[in-house]
Amino acid sequence: MSNDAGACRLRVRYVKEGRLAHLGHLEVMGTVLRSVRRAELPFEVSEGFAKRMRIQFSQALPVGASSVAEYYDLLMPVRLDAQEALDRLKAATPTLLAPQEARVLPRRMPALEAWANRALWDVDILGEDVTPDAVRDGIEAALQKGTLEFMRGTKPRTLDLTSTLVSYELEAISGGADDDGGRGVHTRGVHLGLDTRVTERGSLRPAVLINAVLGRAPNRVCRLSQWHEERDGSLTSPMSVG
Amino acid sequence: MRRERENLFYLLEPLLERVERPSRYLNHEWGAVEEQDGPFHVCIMYPDVYDVGLPNLGIAILYDELNRQDGISCERAYLPWIDMAGFMRERSIPLLSLESSSPVASFDLVGFTLAHELVCTNIVEALDLAGITLRADEREEDEPIVIAGGPSAWNCEPVAPMFDAVLLGDGEGAITNMAQCVREAREEGVSRREIWRRLSLLPGVYVPALYDVVVDETSTRWGYCVPKEGSGAPACVTKHCIASLQKTEPVAQRIVPYLTVVQDRLTVEILRGCARGCRFCQAGMTYRPVRERPKEQIVEAVGRGLETSGYDECCLSSLSTTDHSECASILHELYGQLSERGVRISIPSQRLDSYGVEMATSARSSRRAGLTFAPEAGSQRLRDVINKNVTDENMEAAARNAFANGYRRMKLYFMMGLPTETDEDLKGISHMAEHVADIGREVCGKRAKVTVGISVAVFVPKCHTPFQWEGQLPLEETHRRQRVMLHAATDRAVRIAYHDAETSLVEGALSKMGRTGFDLVLAAWRRGCRFDAWTDQFSFERWADAAADIGLDLENIACERFDLDARLPWDHTSPGVSKGFLQREWRRAMEGVTTADCTMTQCTGCGVCPALGVANELAGERA
Ligand code: SF4
Repeated sequence: MSNDAGACRLRVRYVKEGRLAHLGHLEVMGTVLRSVRRAELPFEVSEGFAKRMRIQFSQALPVGASSVAEYYDLLMPVRLDAQEALDRLKAATPTLLAPQEARVLPRRMPALEAWANRALWDVDILGEDVTPDAVRDGIEAALQKGTLEFMRGTKPRTLDLTSTLVSYELEAISGGADDDGGRGVHTRGVHLGLDTRVTERGSLRPAVLINAVLGRAPNRVCRLSQWHEERDGSLTSPMSVG
Repeated sequence: MRRERENLFYLLEPLLERVERPSRYLNHEWGAVEEQDGPFHVCIMYPDVYDVGLPNLGIAILYDELNRQDGISCERAYLPWIDMAGFMRERSIPLLSLESSSPVASFDLVGFTLAHELVCTNIVEALDLAGITLRADEREEDEPIVIAGGPSAWNCEPVAPMFDAVLLGDGEGAITNMAQCVREAREEGVSRREIWRRLSLLPGVYVPALYDVVVDETSTRWGYCVPKEGSGAPACVTKHCIASLQKTEPVAQRIVPYLTVVQDRLTVEILRGCARGCRFCQAGMTYRPVRERPKEQIVEAVGRGLETSGYDECCLSSLSTTDHSECASILHELYGQLSERGVRISIPSQRLDSYGVEMATSARSSRRAGLTFAPEAGSQRLRDVINKNVTDENMEAAARNAFANGYRRMKLYFMMGLPTETDEDLKGISHMAEHVADIGREVCGKRAKVTVGISVAVFVPKCHTPFQWEGQLPLEETHRRQRVMLHAATDRAVRIAYHDAETSLVEGALSKMGRTGFDLVLAAWRRGCRFDAWTDQFSFERWADAAADIGLDLENIACERFDLDARLPWDHTSPGVSKGFLQREWRRAMEGVTTADCTMTQCTGCGVCPALGVANELAGERA
C-alpha cells in the first residue's frame, strides 16, 4: 500500500476547453475518475467498505470557466513511466479535457487543493460600451473598499479583496474579427488579466468580481496557470515541484 | 416540411449559462457516435430530460444496433427542461438532436421511447418544439416518419395518433427492419400512406392510422380497433420477440455522461422476461418468455463494459435478477474479479427469501442503503389473489438473514387498492412492517437503530394483465385507506410513504381509455401539463380541467370496471399471452388460487411460447 517502495503520485495537468467549460467540478471529477479506469492505470483505493479511487484535485474551477492549467494527483501503488501513463490517459479522456503533462512525484506531498493557492486568469468582457477605464474604475473602487459583497445562491457573502486580488491588467479588444459567421458576436470590449490568491478566508472568482463591478457576467473566463506561493512570495509551479 | 440538416449548436450555446444543469445539452460524451454520415438519419428520443433518459437501456440497444448498420446513422434527443424550452421558444430554436445538433424535424426517422403513461404530454411537447405536425395523418409527405416503442407501447392508443408506427415487443432487429423499410420506401419516393402499408407488414409493427375505432355493444365505451378496409393491416398485431438474448450484444450501453444521471453506472441485462406471474404486473405478462444470458457471457460483458466505460459500478439488470439460474455464482465470480478495483455490483431487486439476501450480500450492495423487498400485499390471502408467491415465513427469514448480515434498514414495497382488498389487508401492511422491525431489534439488539420504510403505491390496472378488467379506487377511498394503514402503524421505527393518489388516477385513466385518450392528452398539454412524472411539475387540477374540457371525468374513467368478455381498446395488439389465460387468471385470483412460475415447474399455458414460436431459455436449473 502507501508505504510500499513503488508507491508514488502521478501529477497530471489537463485542460477544460470548448463546450466542456460548462461542466461543473463534480462532473469533471467524475469524468477524470472514469478516464483513469479506462486507461487502466494502477491506483490506490481507500480502505473501508466503500472503496474509492485515491485521487486529489486542484481547486474547483467554476462552471462556465475554461482552463489550460488544471491538475490532479493520482495515488499509485506502483510506479509507472510518466509518458506511458500520459499516453494511456490521453487515449481514454475526452479531447476537451485532455491531459497535457504528467510527472511522477513522491507519494507524500501536500494536497493539491490547498497547496496551489495562486492563479492567473484570462477574462473577456465584450460589448460596445465596455472600456478599460470603466473596468479599472470599478475594480479600483472595490479595492478602495477592500471587500467584495456578493450573493452565492441566496446567501450574502463578503470577500476580502486586498488579499485575494494580487494584481490585474487591462487591454482593449477592438473589432477586426470577421470570422463570426454573421452571428453578430461582439468583437469590442476588454481583456482582463487577473492574478488571484486563495486565502483561508476565501478565493476570488473572476465572474464574481466582474459581476460586482459591472453588474454583468464576463463572456469568457480561462484559468491560465496555478502556482504555489512560498512564504517569501516566490512561486512554484505544480509541475516543477520536488 | 422537412427541415434542413444543419448544426445549430451555436444558437443553443449562449443559453447554456442561463439554464439549470447545462451539461444536459453538451453532447460529445465518451462513447457517443460522433460520425453521423447517414445518408439515412434516425433520431431516438427519450421524452424526458437528459439525466432521466440517458441511462435507458432500450435506447442504448437501438442506438448501438442502428449505428452498426451501413448507411444508417442514429443520434439521440431528450426533452429540454422547462427553462431551456422557454428560451428556445422565445428565440424560435427548434428541438435539436444531441450528436450533430441538427433539428429533429430534419431526420428521416424519429423514434420515441414510451417509458410509462406519464410521458404522454412530453411527447406532444417534443413534437411541438421540433415543429413536427402532431398527428401522423396530417403530416406532410416529406416530414419525418415518427415511430415509438418501449414498455408502455401496450395500450399506446392515447398517444397512437402521433405515430406513423408503433413497435410492440423486442426492439432488436425490428428497429433495423423498420429503418430499412422507410429508407427503401423514401428512395423509391412512395407516399406516406404506402410507407404505412409496408411498415404494417413487418412483425410487431402497429400502424395506428390504418385502424378505425368502433364502439358497439360488444365493446367498452372506448371501443376497439379494426383494420381499415383494404388496408391489409393485420386484425391483431403480435409482438416482435427475439428467441434468445445470447445472440444480442450484452454491452449495449457505451455512452458515459458528464452529468450525474439517475443511474450512473454500467447496466448489463442478464435476463429478459419474468414468469412469476404476479397478476398486476404488466411487464411480467408482456416480456415473456424468460431468456437468460449464459454466465460466461455476463462475466465477460461486465469486465469489458467496465473497462470501456470506466464506471465503478455495474448493475445486473432484469425484471427479476436473482431468479437467474446462475445468479449466485455470477455474483461470486464478479466479486472475486472486481472488488480490488473498487467496483460495486448491484442488483435491482431481491427475492423475498433468504436466498435473495445471500445474493444481495454477495453483491456487496451498500449496507447503508439497506435492502429492498416487495411483498406487495399485507396478508397471505391477498398475496394469493395477486399471485405474489411469498409467505410470511419467507419474509421473516429474509428479514432475519438481512439483519444478521449487518443491514439496519429495510425497505418494503406494497400496493394498495388491489382487487378484493379489505381494511384488514391494509392493517396487515403496518403489522408486517412492525414485525420486521421487531425482528431487527431482536437480531441487532435493542440499541441498534433499525428502520423499516414502507412505500405504498396505488394499484393501477394495466392492460394485458389478469387485472385489466378491474377499476381503480376512487380518490376519497384511497385517502381513507391510507388513513387506515397509518393508524395501524404505531412503531416509531416504521416509516410510511405513499405514492400520490392523484398521479395514479391520471395514469389509471390513460391506461383505460383507448384512442379517445389522445383528446385528453392534447387538452392537458394545452393547459400546460408536461413533465407529469415530476412531482413538482404535476398538476392534478390541470388534468382534471383538461378532462372537463372534453366532457369527461378522470375518476369516472379510471374507476370503471370492464366486463370480462367485452372487446377491449387494446385487443388488436398482443404480447402473445392469450386473453383466455388472462381470464382464467382473473378467476383464479377471485378464488385465491395461485399459479406457479413456469420456469420452476411446468408450462401454465399462458400461450406465449406457441403463439410466438419461442420457449423459455434458461442457463441452468432454477432453484
Ligand atoms: S407458454 Fe407456458 S412455458 Fe411459455 S411462458 Fe407461457 S406459461 Fe411459460
